[in-house]
Amino acid sequence: MPKIIAYTMAAAILLFSALPVNAAVEIGKPAPEIEATDTGGNPFKLSDHKGKIVVLEWTNHQCPFVIKHYGSGNMQAVQKTAKDQGVEWVSIVSSAPSHQGHVSADEANTIVSEQGATISAKILDESGAIGKLYDAKTTPHMFIINAEGNVAYAGAIDNKSSPNPKTIEGATNYVLAALESLKAGSAIEVSQTQPYGCSVKY
Amino acid sequence: MRIPFLILSLFLTLTLPMIANAQESSDPLVKIRILPEKGEIQAGEEIWIGTQQSITPDWHTYWTNPGDSGATPTIEWALPEDFEISEIQWPAPHKLPYGPLLNYGYEDKVILLQKLKAPKTLPKGPLELNATIEILVCKEECIPEYGNYTLTLNGPNAATENNSPYINVAQQHLPTKTDWLVSFYEDGNDFVLKTAAPEALLSTINLATVAFFPEEWGLLSNPSPVQALIQDDVLVLKQVRGQRDITSVHEFSGVLSFETMEGEKRSYTISSTFKPDTSTSKFQGSSNLGIFQALIFALLGGLILNLMPCVFPVLSIKALSLVKIAEKHPEIARRHGLSYTAGVITSFVLIAGTLIALQAGGAQIGWGFQLQNPWIVGALGYLLFVIGLNLIGFFDFVNPFANVGGKLAGNDGLSGSFFTGVLATLVATPCTAPFMAGAIGFAFIQPPLISLTIFAALGLGLALPYLALSFAPALQKMLPRPGPWMEIFKQALAFPMFIAALWLLWVLAQQVDSMDITAALFGAILITFSIWMFKHIPERPLTHNITRAIAVLAVLSALTILPTKTITLNNAAIEATYSFGQPFSQNRLEEELAGDAPVFTEMTAAWCITCKVNHKLAINIAATKTLFAENNVRYLIGDWTNEDPAITKYLQAYGRNGVPLYVFYGPRDVVTKQRPEPKILPQVLTPDIVKKYIEGNS
Repeated sequence: MPKIIAYTMAAAILLFSALPVNAAVEIGKPAPEIEATDTGGNPFKLSDHKGKIVVLEWTNHQCPFVIKHYGSGNMQAVQKTAKDQGVEWVSIVSSAPSHQGHVSADEANTIVSEQGATISAKILDESGAIGKLYDAKTTPHMFIINAEGNVAYAGAIDNKSSPNPKTIEGATNYVLAALESLKAGSAIEVSQTQPYGCSVKY
Repeated sequence: MRIPFLILSLFLTLTLPMIANAQESSDPLVKIRILPEKGEIQAGEEIWIGTQQSITPDWHTYWTNPGDSGATPTIEWALPEDFEISEIQWPAPHKLPYGPLLNYGYEDKVILLQKLKAPKTLPKGPLELNATIEILVCKEECIPEYGNYTLTLNGPNAATENNSPYINVAQQHLPTKTDWLVSFYEDGNDFVLKTAAPEALLSTINLATVAFFPEEWGLLSNPSPVQALIQDDVLVLKQVRGQRDITSVHEFSGVLSFETMEGEKRSYTISSTFKPDTSTSKFQGSSNLGIFQALIFALLGGLILNLMPCVFPVLSIKALSLVKIAEKHPEIARRHGLSYTAGVITSFVLIAGTLIALQAGGAQIGWGFQLQNPWIVGALGYLLFVIGLNLIGFFDFVNPFANVGGKLAGNDGLSGSFFTGVLATLVATPCTAPFMAGAIGFAFIQPPLISLTIFAALGLGLALPYLALSFAPALQKMLPRPGPWMEIFKQALAFPMFIAALWLLWVLAQQVDSMDITAALFGAILITFSIWMFKHIPERPLTHNITRAIAVLAVLSALTILPTKTITLNNAAIEATYSFGQPFSQNRLEEELAGDAPVFTEMTAAWCITCKVNHKLAINIAATKTLFAENNVRYLIGDWTNEDPAITKYLQAYGRNGVPLYVFYGPRDVVTKQRPEPKILPQVLTPDIVKKYIEGNS
């Protein structure tokens, strides 16, 4: 009996601690700090990258929406464009152990090379701490942090909330548009959208 | 009555051989069936088409807003020529939690309905309708399923096909459309939704089962717990707010669902086209006013403003000087009239435009907000003081006082008339005349262009007497003949100006501490000193410039020593200022309203003359005190001297954007246990008016 109570309490605490901390990520406000070790074993600290634009991409290689963007080469193309502009790209996997998309560092690196992704770092967040800090809901869920360290964009990768690869053509890519605006020094037209995709497997 | 799906399925397999599933994968997680209401369609007829999803246990599909993740299913139709099909009618969704996330969707079985409309002429023979359906189905993982389906109408077996039982069941699951009044706003970290559902329905709701499904994303945190309560015949629902900026959402729809006390499931489509606001009870007030009526009210309000104590002296001087000009040059008089009008309207539109822009930025402010800033109060005080000095003859505007409003207003040139208009507006802003409140309240819930037009009408009203005077020699003749007496009259008018300046100092005293008041008074001395310096500027270039510099410096110092931030807290100020009554807060009001006793609220501000006069003459008197005591009236005072979003919201709820506001909530009826509709009292009170309302004889 006490065990059940303990479990219930643990579950309740988990549930409530998991409730989104509101306005943790707010457009125009400083991005929450990320301190982690990437899959290459290098330390990653978000604030060290001030002065550069950073893209955060929540991913899960088994999610059909992620497959739509990687299978078609769309995500890699966006990454390439970003890299050419000197933008840092960080992929984050918040899948919990034994949940879809959970991988070891080696597996993660293999996936990156198989995908042909050009990213600066990949972070495994199996506790979900970073995901919850950013209130990441879906894979993919995209965040752009400007050179001043403020959140410039949060939301979907594009305006076609479908898992169908056919919808990539003709879609408006919000991330590319936002990067373009940041480059041009103009205001980002769409800075917040509803993210779409599979749920993050916390 | 619900027909069990099992029986229906059996029924379907026996009678519906027409479904051709072109691309069905070996084992889809969602089985799709296209169900026409019937197999035959006539020319011009409308029939329902249902798309049934049979979802594998433990898996789910999504609603039009999938919630935190997932994707909305899509059905793309290729129809015969001139056929039309409606948007999908979505049954009320369920909440599907996953970890810290929450989705909106369906489990088990669901039918999405669309209405198909045939053209006026139909081709003979079977009709083929093709649907491309894309459905995302998830448990923990998600799988997208795609399929092409063909529906044949008017085929060989058409006459025997009848799926109306399915369609009927599906219709029962559709939320009922409503035209209930709905408002939404953010309260700190909460998203608050208020729905004025019919009273008979409200009483049946099991509040623990209330759920709201917004069609818009990001308004509320989907997984956050729902708090529902019924307050003043309105269903109030609170959840943690979402990450989206609510001010960007001006209208939205959603589904409100709950179970009745008997456990019956109900769902309703509600929508709000209101600007985010808070309506404590009845969504009343301004919206009842038409644009035309609002314009008339604005014009009338502007006219009455002319009689306000600070506007009157400025205007009478101006009017008298006009007569002097008009005798010789009537056309110049007319031009003065137009310049003055332009000055007034421009300043009204500018102030209103600023206010609208600030509100669009999310600031909870209203009309008269200018006087919530102590620096502006102080600067206006200086201005009135300087005008007073001018009137009494301390100085004439002969010395070049660059950019000082007083000089420009005294100038006989046309720009002088323009700036008299600006000045009249500046000194008029704190005053709310009768009729104005309704018009201004209305203005602020309109699109910017209309609200600016209403403010322009207000300005026109203020400018109208002078404008009329400048155009009508007959009116000019009614004014006393100019003569030496005018100088004495002008000097006499200095005193209302000084008194008005003193009043502003008193307003300032409500906002800041005694040190700041001393600073403001010292500023007045500096300004007098500066004027005196200007009056005696020496001829020699060097000393000329030095004197000038000192004089300018004195004015600048006077302006910089004015306080910029309020110090006194609203509630503390109330306790000290009012001899009876309790400080207003929304919670306090709700507590009082939950009880049976009548409640009287007064929204006031130190800078609001009308409020002060009402309070002094109609409320804070022995007769009213006795009246309140006899009737057990709970009396709450909200002080809006300094910006207070809670009071701004309360004012907005009654269609107002400024003070004063008096609302009387009658006592709860002993028999029906209901309170009568709250009553808004007029803006100008007498003890009799108050008595009438309290005793229910209004």
